[in-house]
Amino acid sequence: MWRVVLPELVVTATALVALLGDLFLPAGRKRAVGYLSLVGVVLALAAAVGLAATGAVTPGGVGPAPAGPLAGMIEADFFALAMKVVFVAVGLGTVLLGVDFAETRGLPRGEFFSLTLIAVLGMMLMAGSRDLVMIYLGLETTAISSYALAGLLRGDLRSGEAALKYFLTGALASAVILFGMALVFGAAGSTNLGDLLGPGGLAGIRSGWVPVAVTGLVLLVAGFGFKLAAVPFHFWAPDAYEGAPTPVTAFFSVGPKAAAFAAVLRIFGPVLVAGAPGGAGGVLGDFSGLLPTLFAVLSVVTMTVGNLAALAQTDMKRLLAYSSIAHAGYILVGLAVASPRGLAAVVYYLAAYAAMNLGAFAVVIWLENRGTGREVKDYVGLARRAPLAALALVVCFLSLIGIPPTAGFFGKLYLFLAAVGEGQTWLAVVMVLNSAVSVGYYYGVVRNMYLVKESEALGAEPGAVGTIPGTPLVRTALGLAVVAVLVLGVFFEPLSRLAAMAGGAL
Amino acid sequence: MSGFPILTLMVFAPLVGTFVLLTIPKDRVQLCRQVAAFFGLVPLAASLWALAKWGSAAVTPEGLRLVERLDWIPSLGISYFLGTDGLSFPLVLLTTLVTFVALVAAWDMVKEKERAFFSLLLLLETGMLGVFLALDYVLFYVFWEIVLVPMYFLIGIWGGPRREYAALKFFIYTLVGSVIMLVGILALYFMSGAKTFDMLAIAAAAPAIPLAAQKWIFFALFLGFAVKVPVFPLHTWLPDAHVEAPTPISVVLAAVLLKMGTYGFYRVSYPTLPEAAKAFTVAMAALGLINIIYGALTAMAQKDLKKLVAYSSISHMGFVLLGLAAGTPLALAGGMFMNISHGLISAMLFLMVGAIYERTHTREIAKLRGIYVTVPVVATVMAFSFFANLGLPGLAGFVSEFFVLAGTFRVSVVWVAMAGLGMLVVAGFNLWMMQRVLMGEAKEEYAGLPDATPLELFTYAPLVVLIVVLGVAPGLLMRFLDGPAVQLVQRLGGI
Repeated sequence: MWRVVLPELVVTATALVALLGDLFLPAGRKRAVGYLSLVGVVLALAAAVGLAATGAVTPGGVGPAPAGPLAGMIEADFFALAMKVVFVAVGLGTVLLGVDFAETRGLPRGEFFSLTLIAVLGMMLMAGSRDLVMIYLGLETTAISSYALAGLLRGDLRSGEAALKYFLTGALASAVILFGMALVFGAAGSTNLGDLLGPGGLAGIRSGWVPVAVTGLVLLVAGFGFKLAAVPFHFWAPDAYEGAPTPVTAFFSVGPKAAAFAAVLRIFGPVLVAGAPGGAGGVLGDFSGLLPTLFAVLSVVTMTVGNLAALAQTDMKRLLAYSSIAHAGYILVGLAVASPRGLAAVVYYLAAYAAMNLGAFAVVIWLENRGTGREVKDYVGLARRAPLAALALVVCFLSLIGIPPTAGFFGKLYLFLAAVGEGQTWLAVVMVLNSAVSVGYYYGVVRNMYLVKESEALGAEPGAVGTIPGTPLVRTALGLAVVAVLVLGVFFEPLSRLAAMAGGAL
Repeated sequence: MSGFPILTLMVFAPLVGTFVLLTIPKDRVQLCRQVAAFFGLVPLAASLWALAKWGSAAVTPEGLRLVERLDWIPSLGISYFLGTDGLSFPLVLLTTLVTFVALVAAWDMVKEKERAFFSLLLLLETGMLGVFLALDYVLFYVFWEIVLVPMYFLIGIWGGPRREYAALKFFIYTLVGSVIMLVGILALYFMSGAKTFDMLAIAAAAPAIPLAAQKWIFFALFLGFAVKVPVFPLHTWLPDAHVEAPTPISVVLAAVLLKMGTYGFYRVSYPTLPEAAKAFTVAMAALGLINIIYGALTAMAQKDLKKLVAYSSISHMGFVLLGLAAGTPLALAGGMFMNISHGLISAMLFLMVGAIYERTHTREIAKLRGIYVTVPVVATVMAFSFFANLGLPGLAGFVSEFFVLAGTFRVSVVWVAMAGLGMLVVAGFNLWMMQRVLMGEAKEEYAGLPDATPLELFTYAPLVVLIVVLGVAPGLLMRFLDGPAVQLVQRLGGI
C-alpha cells in the first residue's frame, strides 16, 4: 500500500532532512543541505520511475471510489506516475540550479530546499488524486510554499513585492477554487471525481441544483486559470517571476503551472473526451459542450497576449515569464481539441516544456551567479564569454519556438496533429502564427549573444569583458536539460505512447 | 532495409564532423580545416561510391534505390525513410561536391572563428542532404528546418556589413514559408487519409482529396518552396543574403539551397497534387517568365557584382518553373538539368566574385577594370564561368535552357518567345559585365595582385570540368533524369 506513495514519502523525508540539516549543520558546512536535497530528489525520481516500471499501476479511468485506506484519495494510475516523474525531475532541476545560487545570493538554504520539496510534494498530490479535497490540499501545499519561496530574498524589495503579489492573487485563486469545489460538493454530495463524473454524480442531481453545480465548475475553470497564468488571469505572473529568486522563477514557470494543468486534466479531462458527466443533458450538458470552446478562447488569447507582450520586454525574466504565459496558451490547445490525443499531447508538452524552460533558466542562473544576466542586453557577446551557455540557450530557444529537431517541435507537432485531427485547423494556424511572432523576442537574445559586437554595445574593447564560467552544478542542470530537449524528440514514439497511456488513465 | 546504410552515412557523417570539430581547440585552425575537409570528403566519397554502384543497386517499383527504412513514430505513421532516384541523386552529388568545394574554398576566405564556421557548414550539409534523401514528410521537414539555423548564423556572423539584416530576413522568409508548408503537409496527412507521412503513400492517396482542397494545399506547399527558389515576389531575401554572405556560403546558397525549393516542386507538389498543379499551370508559367525576365533585367541594372549574380540566379530558376509549367518530358528534364547546371555554374560565379573581392576588396563593377591584364588566369576562369552563365552552347547551362525551351515549344510558342527574350537580356548583362570588369586598361592600384593560387584552381577544377562535360555529353545526366521526368508526366496525365 505504502509503495504507491513512496516517491511522496521520499520527497517529504528529504524536505525534513533539509530543514533540520540547515538547523544543525555548522555555518561553514551548510552547502551540504543542497547536496542532501539533491540525493533525496534523485532517490524520489528513482522511486517514481521504478513504480512506473514495475507496473504498480492501477488502470485509472473514471469509476466509483475504491475502498481501502486511501479511499480514492491517492491514485496510482499512469497519469499520476507520469506527472510525478515530471514534477520530481523539475524538483531535481531546481535543486541543481539552487545550490550555487543560494550561496552567491544568500538564499536561506533550509527554507529554499525544504519549501521547494514541499511544493513538489503538493504538486504530486494534485496529480495523484481523484478527489477534490486532496487536489485542493495539494494545491495549497504548493501555493503556500510558493508564496514563501517568492519572497526568500529577504533584503530584496522586488522579491518581497513578488511574494506579496503572488500571495494575494494566489489566495484569491485558491478561494475561488475552494468555493467552486464547495458548490460542486453541495450540488452533488461528493468530492470524489469518480462519483461526480459517473452516472450517479453530477448527472443525477435535481434540476434546481444544476445552476449551482455549473457555477461551481465555472469557478474552477477561473481559479485554475489563475494558477495556469492564462490570460486574463495572468497579470500577477510577470511581477512574481521577475522578483522571485531565479531558481524559484524557473520552478514556478514549469512546476506549479504543470501541476495546475494536471489538476485541470484530472477534473475536466474525462468531460472533454467523453462529454457531459454521466451523459447529462440540460444546462450541465450545454456547459460540458461549451468547455472546449472555453478552453479554445483561453488558449488563443493566452498565447497571443503572452507572445505580443514578450516582444516588448528588456528584462530577461519578464521575457521568459511572458514566454511561459504563451506556452500555457499552446498547452491549452490540447484541452480545446477535447480528444484523447489532445490530452496526451498536453502531457508530452508539459514534459518537453519543463526541459526546455529549465534549460533557458539555467543559462540565466549561470550568468546571475556571476552577477549579470538579468537584462537582455547582458547577453551581448555571450557567444564568446560563455560559448557553451550561449549554444545551450540557442537550443532551448529553438525548442521553445518549435524548430526541429527539438522536443518543442515534436510537442507542437503533437498539438497540431491533435488540433487538425479534430477539425480545429484554425487553432493550429493561430498557433503557427504565434510561434512566428515568438521568434521576435527569442531572436533578440540570440542576436545579442552572437551578432552584436561587444565593442559597440558595451563600449568595451573586444576581449576586455571576461569570460563567464559556469559552476559544475549549473552546467550539469543545463546539460541534462539540453540532452532532454534533443532526445525527447528522437524518442518521440515511446514517450508519446507513455503520454497517451497517461492521458488514457484520466 | 538491406545492405550497408550508405545514405545514412552520407547524411550524418557531416553531423559527426560538427561535433568532432567542437572537441578540437579552436586555435588549432589548420587541424580544424583538415578535419572539416575530411568530413566533407566522406559524404562526397559515399555519393561517388553510390554512383559507381548505381546500375547494380536494387530498384523499387517507384524507381527508388538505396532505400533505408525504419519505423520512427509508428503511432503517427512517421518513419525514418531515406531513398534516392534519378531526381534526387544528381542533387545529392551536387551537394556533396559543392559543400566540399566550399569547405576547401573557406581555407583562404574565412579568417575568424574558423572552427565554428566549419561546424556550421557541416551541419548545413547534413540538413541539405537530408532534404534531398528523405521520403517521409516529417523527416523532410526536420531536415528542411535544420538547414535554416546554421545558414542564419553563417550569414549573420561571417557576413558583410549588413549581415544582421540579411540573416534575419533570410530566417523570417524561410521560417514563415516552411511553417505554411507544414500546415500543407498536415492537411495532406489528414485529408488523404493515408495515416502515414510516407511521401509515396500520400502521393498515391492524395487524388481522393477534393480538388478545391488540393488547390489550397498546393498553394501552401508552393509558398514554402517558392521562398527557397525564390519565386518573384518572394525573392527579395536572396540578393541581400548573397551580398552579405561570405563567399563559400554564397556558393552553397546558390548552388544547393535554392534547389531545395525546385526539388520540392518536383518531389512533392507536382507528383502528389497533379490536378492542382495543372490548375496552376498558367500561373506557374507566368511566374517562371517573370523570374526569367525580371531577374535578367534587374541583374543588368546592378552595380555590385554579387548582386548581379544573385539576380542572375533568380532568372535561371525561372527556367525550372517554366519547365514545370510546360509539363512535357523534355521540359521537365530540362528543369531538372537546370538545377544541376545552375548549381555548378552559380557556384563558379560566386567563387570568381569571391576571388576578385579577395584581391581588390571591392565588388563594385565601376571600380573594376582590366582584370584580364591584372590576373589573367582568374580572369580566364571568370570569363568561362560567365559564358557558361549566359548559355554558351557546349556548356551545361545551354543544354538545360535548350531542353526547357524545346520542351515548352509544343505547349506555347509565346512562352518560348518570352523566355527567349529573357535569354537575350541574360546574354546582354553577362557580356556587358565582362566588358566592364575584364577588359579595358588595367587599373594601376591593382597592379601586382597575385593570380590564382593552387588552392583556388583546385576548387575550380571539378566544377569547370563538369560544366564542360555536361555541356558536351548531356546524356550522362539525362540518363538519371529521363525516368523521373517520364514518371512525372504520367502523374500529370500527359502522354
